[in-house]
Amino acid sequence: MADRILFRFWTIMDYEEEEQFLREQHQNGWRFKRYLLPGFYFFDRCTPEDVVYRLDFDQAGTGEKPGYLQLYRDYGWEYLFDVNSFSYFRKPADIIEDDLEIFSDNESRLEMIGRIYRRRMIPLMIIFLCCVVPQLIIQSNNWLDRGDVGARAFTLIFLVFFMLYVWLFVHCGRKIRRLRQKYERDV
Amino acid sequence: MQDRIKRIYVPMTETGFYILFCLQNEMHGYNIGQRVKQMTGGAVTISPGTMYGTLAKMEKDGLIRFVREEEKRKLYVMTELGREVLEIELHRIERLYKNSKGEYADGR
Repeated sequence: MADRILFRFWTIMDYEEEEQFLREQHQNGWRFKRYLLPGFYFFDRCTPEDVVYRLDFDQAGTGEKPGYLQLYRDYGWEYLFDVNSFSYFRKPADIIEDDLEIFSDNESRLEMIGRIYRRRMIPLMIIFLCCVVPQLIIQSNNWLDRGDVGARAFTLIFLVFFMLYVWLFVHCGRKIRRLRQKYERDV
Repeated sequence: MQDRIKRIYVPMTETGFYILFCLQNEMHGYNIGQRVKQMTGGAVTISPGTMYGTLAKMEKDGLIRFVREEEKRKLYVMTELGREVLEIELHRIERLYKNSKGEYADGR
């Protein structure tokens, strides 16, 4: 078990907030141990310390992982684990003149946004368009035609899914735009 | 195909240039990072995420090739195509430098 369990909701485009959150926890004496589930954090008590956390998204293909992690280790990063295709790294911030970034140019930051978009957002859009939307239409038609409990329940379930997806697309779309603007400014 | 690669890569990014320049000799990612830091007096740093991504892309595009593995570290070296790209880029930089010093091709 852990000394503290926290819940915090974040989407795939909020990785910078996630880095900042974990850093602040560590500064307050809570070292990130692991996730129970994505969003449920396990923390251990530790001496307050400024430790930088960084997330990389799905860079190394299968079989490439050992070399990828070795490279990060050579640069002084401690590898924690992979969650949701994000690789978690951390490094004490007090090492003088050491590099605390995992990307040294905006091009590679934009590429990471592109990877998240291709491998997460597009599949989600396909599920939305090919499953959630048709199901919502079918079930609501059933409700209108027959009006039975099953059709009502399914209509409501898919309506909730529909709204969740729409919210997610709006949120992530805004986030992607903001991040792109931030990093495209001085490419 | 090769012409397309040359067009994409020239002019090069600083990261791309220094990685390719270093890979005239066999090296692994962290080595390159350290070497670039020394060469530029710390003005250019290449972080691991950027290093990994650039090496992977250059390997895919055929500018560099994987040589062997040494304790999980992958060593790369420049290919013939990589050498051509580097030469084109070096000529470009030379021209920029000469022009900036007031040396022009038409001699005026």
